[in-house]
Amino acid sequence: MLMNISWYGSEAQDTQIKGFVDVLTTYQDDKLSFGLGEQDLFITSELTDRITFLGESVFKFGMSPTSFNVSIERIVLKYNFKGNHNILIGKHHTPLNYWNDTYHHGRVFFPTIYRPLLFSSNVIPLHTTGIGVQGENLGKLKLGYDVMAGNGIGSSDISDNDKYKSLTAALHIKPFEKWRVGGSVYYDKISPGFITHHGSADTVDFVITQLIYSGSLSYFGKRFELLTEGSLVTNSMDSIGTTTSVAFYGYGGIKFAKKFTGYARYDLINFDTNEIYFDNDNKMTVLAGIRFQVNYLVVVKLEYQYDESDRNGINNMVTGQVAIGF
Amino acid sequence: MLAVITSLILFFAGFHGFAQDQNLSVISNTKGVPDDMKMEDLRSVLKGEKQRWGDGTKVVVALMKTNTPAGSSTLKKIYGMTSDELNKYWLALVFQGKAKAPAFFNSAAELQVFVEQTPGAIGIVDSPGSGNHKKITIDGKKTF
Repeated sequence: MLMNISWYGSEAQDTQIKGFVDVLTTYQDDKLSFGLGEQDLFITSELTDRITFLGESVFKFGMSPTSFNVSIERIVLKYNFKGNHNILIGKHHTPLNYWNDTYHHGRVFFPTIYRPLLFSSNVIPLHTTGIGVQGENLGKLKLGYDVMAGNGIGSSDISDNDKYKSLTAALHIKPFEKWRVGGSVYYDKISPGFITHHGSADTVDFVITQLIYSGSLSYFGKRFELLTEGSLVTNSMDSIGTTTSVAFYGYGGIKFAKKFTGYARYDLINFDTNEIYFDNDNKMTVLAGIRFQVNYLVVVKLEYQYDESDRNGINNMVTGQVAIGF
Repeated sequence: MLAVITSLILFFAGFHGFAQDQNLSVISNTKGVPDDMKMEDLRSVLKGEKQRWGDGTKVVVALMKTNTPAGSSTLKKIYGMTSDELNKYWLALVFQGKAKAPAFFNSAAELQVFVEQTPGAIGIVDSPGSGNHKKITIDGKKTF
């Protein structure tokens, strides 16, 4: 914590700045490399009794004059209008899945070094700029919900590129301690000439109606960890019809010593053979690793990853990572 | 030999007594917090799962630092976590924008002043003391 401004019992502003950063070393194709990951800064601030702010910015290597890019990942103004119900305005992590909303750039929380293919292959829209209503921990089942309307795919952070709005509806419950089950639906109409999420240059010439159905199941206990998520995406075009693509991953971990956890993950993406919206490269990944939780702010991981892709064939890689929070 | 065994028994009995958890009490600001709570509800509140009390006052959680005896007992009896697990739990909730982390204190006196001055504040101490705060019963009991 770099800054904490608060006064007991007063109405003064309470602002905190925290962050995450990671460094990596990889061994691939008989070559050892060292590299920086991302530096993620997030700010939380209580503006009034009911209004809070959360901002998140990421600094990472990229093609710019300084070799580093800055991206605004989240700017969220939250208004708590009753009990556990809130209105959120700004740029959000699209509340589609567990990983996207829970970890995103918080690499010290990641159970593995790398994100699942479901997130790293642009299958789901990671961010939405718009307005939403959110509820948390309601009733015995600890029900949570998110309903969000946003600019949608193809838009920038400052304006929509078309008249269509994306709609996200998500529900989850926590039926038992440490268990969470969730599902969501995402709807959007994507205009011709769109640029896909995170700046891919791919474009299409048709209006696409996209529906994403997602489900997740998680359990993070004292000894065992389980996380599995899947998304089924349909893209409908008047001229071509409807394509259906699926992405899935399953993660399991077991703590074998006080601070050590062994883990494995299996990822699969299978695109429709007629798919024209996604980068049509079927992929499969298997990885296994060891996580050493030094304390809650320092995590060391060593991971072996095996990839198969239609386009790039087979790849093997070993990665070591130190991720910290500050 | 008997003396050695007796000494060992006394040593471990004494050690066990030392390691026993403290009785804990719940105190609160005079605004917002009900006079009696179920243990299940107390756990939920202290885990950041409740944002407002029934009268609309914002929930504020105050805890003793985990390296104090009362903080250590709170970890065990309420959270079932280690100190690191608790810190990670709250960091994750703050990062997700779901909750504000508790205020942590070195002494019961500091915690008590905070609770008395903060509407909706609820805190866990080893001894409730006296002052301008409420003593909350849990399942009808003064301590747990």
